[in-house]
Amino acid sequence: MMGDARPLIDALRAPETVLSLDGTGWTDLISIARAESLIGSLAHRLADVAVPEQIQPVLKDAIQAADLARRQALWEADCAGRALAPLNCNTVLMKGTAYVAADLDAGVGRSIGDLDIMVARDQLTAVEELLLDAGWEWVKPDPYDDQYYRDHMHELPPLIHRERDRMIDVHHTILPLTAGPTPNAGAMLDYAVRLDSGLYVMAPADMLLHSIAHLFADGDLAGGLRNLWDIDRLVRQFAGADELFWMELGVRAKLHQLEPHLARALRLTARLYATPVSENLSGSTNMTDHFYIRRLLARDGWGRENRKFTRQAFYIRSHWLRMPPLMLTRHLWTKWRKA
Amino acid sequence: MAGLHHLYLTVGPARFRVASTWRQPLDQLAALYKDYPASQGGYADFTVRLEPEKPWRRYIRPSVHISGDFWLPDAAPLPLSQCLLAAEMGMNLQMALGWRRHLLLHASSVEKDGKALLMTGLSGSGKSTLSAMLAEKGWRFMGDEFALLNPDTGMVHSFPRLISLKNEAIAAMQAILPDSRFGPLLTGTPKGDIRHIIPPLDAVKRMADTAKPALLLFPRFGYDPVLRDMGKSEIFVRLTQASTNYVALGETGFQALTKFVDRVPTKAMDYQSGEQAEELIDSLWSQL
Amino acid sequence: MSQLYRTTAPEGIIQRPLDSMTLIFQKSSGITHMIADPVPAILEVMAEDSLTARDVAQRLAVSYDLEDSENAADVVLARLAELCTLGLVEQV
Repeated sequence: MMGDARPLIDALRAPETVLSLDGTGWTDLISIARAESLIGSLAHRLADVAVPEQIQPVLKDAIQAADLARRQALWEADCAGRALAPLNCNTVLMKGTAYVAADLDAGVGRSIGDLDIMVARDQLTAVEELLLDAGWEWVKPDPYDDQYYRDHMHELPPLIHRERDRMIDVHHTILPLTAGPTPNAGAMLDYAVRLDSGLYVMAPADMLLHSIAHLFADGDLAGGLRNLWDIDRLVRQFAGADELFWMELGVRAKLHQLEPHLARALRLTARLYATPVSENLSGSTNMTDHFYIRRLLARDGWGRENRKFTRQAFYIRSHWLRMPPLMLTRHLWTKWRKA
Repeated sequence: MAGLHHLYLTVGPARFRVASTWRQPLDQLAALYKDYPASQGGYADFTVRLEPEKPWRRYIRPSVHISGDFWLPDAAPLPLSQCLLAAEMGMNLQMALGWRRHLLLHASSVEKDGKALLMTGLSGSGKSTLSAMLAEKGWRFMGDEFALLNPDTGMVHSFPRLISLKNEAIAAMQAILPDSRFGPLLTGTPKGDIRHIIPPLDAVKRMADTAKPALLLFPRFGYDPVLRDMGKSEIFVRLTQASTNYVALGETGFQALTKFVDRVPTKAMDYQSGEQAEELIDSLWSQL
Repeated sequence: MSQLYRTTAPEGIIQRPLDSMTLIFQKSSGITHMIADPVPAILEVMAEDSLTARDVAQRLAVSYDLEDSENAADVVLARLAELCTLGLVEQV
């Protein structure tokens, strides 16, 4: 008991496994799922399972909370779309908002925080101006952070809407400019798919690759189980609908320099969520997969992150992935001095 | 990683699992909540966690970091001597951020003849003390922090947690209640001195009984006694500000709150003493 | 003044008059708006038609016996712009 996040993995992968849970097991599962921001996905996943009546209201709450998150996310996207309409540029929705806007399985029950959009890099200044006109404001008017973002990151410094209190991140590519691989942002924009609302989402292979880049490059794999669940859902839906998907995915992974990331993500999702994957693309089990799995499962039944050491190791590594060493030191130093 | 002690607690419709690095807060909770239903087979709606801010802070100048299923990124830790307060705040936090089965109003409530009196207002309005006082004068205590409004039935549900008294209110209640009803005196908290009282046994035994909201008051302590009418728009706006989950409930919250504002008589009440407040309340109640 | 406006999805809002104000719950955003005169009247006379500010002012003049003037159309235009920002009205 109280070991790791496996009860959540089991419940998502094979919902009937929850039938063997006792009261404490359920309480653990709920705490883990909330901590991993997967409670809404879990609640939907258990829709057809005979859940004990003591736990039904908890799951019903989670479904309603996810419905609201979905509605708010779509509204924020609409607001951004309206603000950017004069520009006539393609506004590409990303992550959770894209999944719900495109009505994908990955959006079912998903928690959604900020609005992430991608636009062409040469449109950034114009986009910034229009958003500022429409009521968004800088979150932290800090010249250091601001310069840091503009020089090295893949997005504008975050903006928040002064009335709706919701954040927007405007990206012009999917990874920090200092990261190793350089995905082809232009190709992602060119391939983007137009929705009825006039907003865009990435084409299937690009969308999956972005989700994968996000899993490995953003932070220290924190929230990784949620990212990996997105990946599982996307793979199952896209590969199930189009037999050429795997081929397309391989081509796009090469174009975006994300082949090793793709392979690792496919192995991890196959291992944890039993996702059917193409072995051509996933390759065979790598010894270091084991560490990733341990990191992803590092959550006890009280909802706490455990195995601090593994976590720390990943944190340092995740910074190295994104920033050359000197820049990292400078960045940390500035942070320390200000703290 | 160190294991956690824990206990289960049921207050009104909500079930908590409180987990802590230290035994102390759990022992205090167990003593003060001894008449409440305990574990319901290990099921809980929320887990609250009380842990050291940093591992070494378990023993050295121990400080309690409050978290759980729902948490705030900038919640300041409390010293271990105030761990009971930490536990109570932890439970409040879960309700405020996570509860969706009722519209939560930051209000105290008491009941008589199946009808509920709700009192809401800013900190220092005296809503908590008034509810504690009325609870000793023939009213059933339903809660001093949150009133739970059922969106389907319009009824108020009881959430009779420990009553939290602050500063001057402590001495006032000590004058009329036996020592056995009190928790430890917590000095120097962010809100000054705090002492909890155990609600009357009747309030605990009948915590599943609902009541029809019959009167809403906005009390204000320290002004010449007077009752004032309020416009419905003002009432509505102030109640949205007094609700932690109005926005989270979406259309359900809107329907529940507009219905409440339409139906429940409401007054602003200024008062300078408990006796004055009681008189004003009695006069209103007899006219309902 | 030739710009046409119409209300967005009238079934997507719930209106509740409360003394001097009117509450509007907007389902698509989950936001509660509190609006004062003449906004509820503007929404009412617009119904589901596409209208200019001038048209709206004329309809208000008929329905509410208000003075119809160039000035009235300006007031309506300003309110329509605010309603567009809130997503309650859109330009056609």
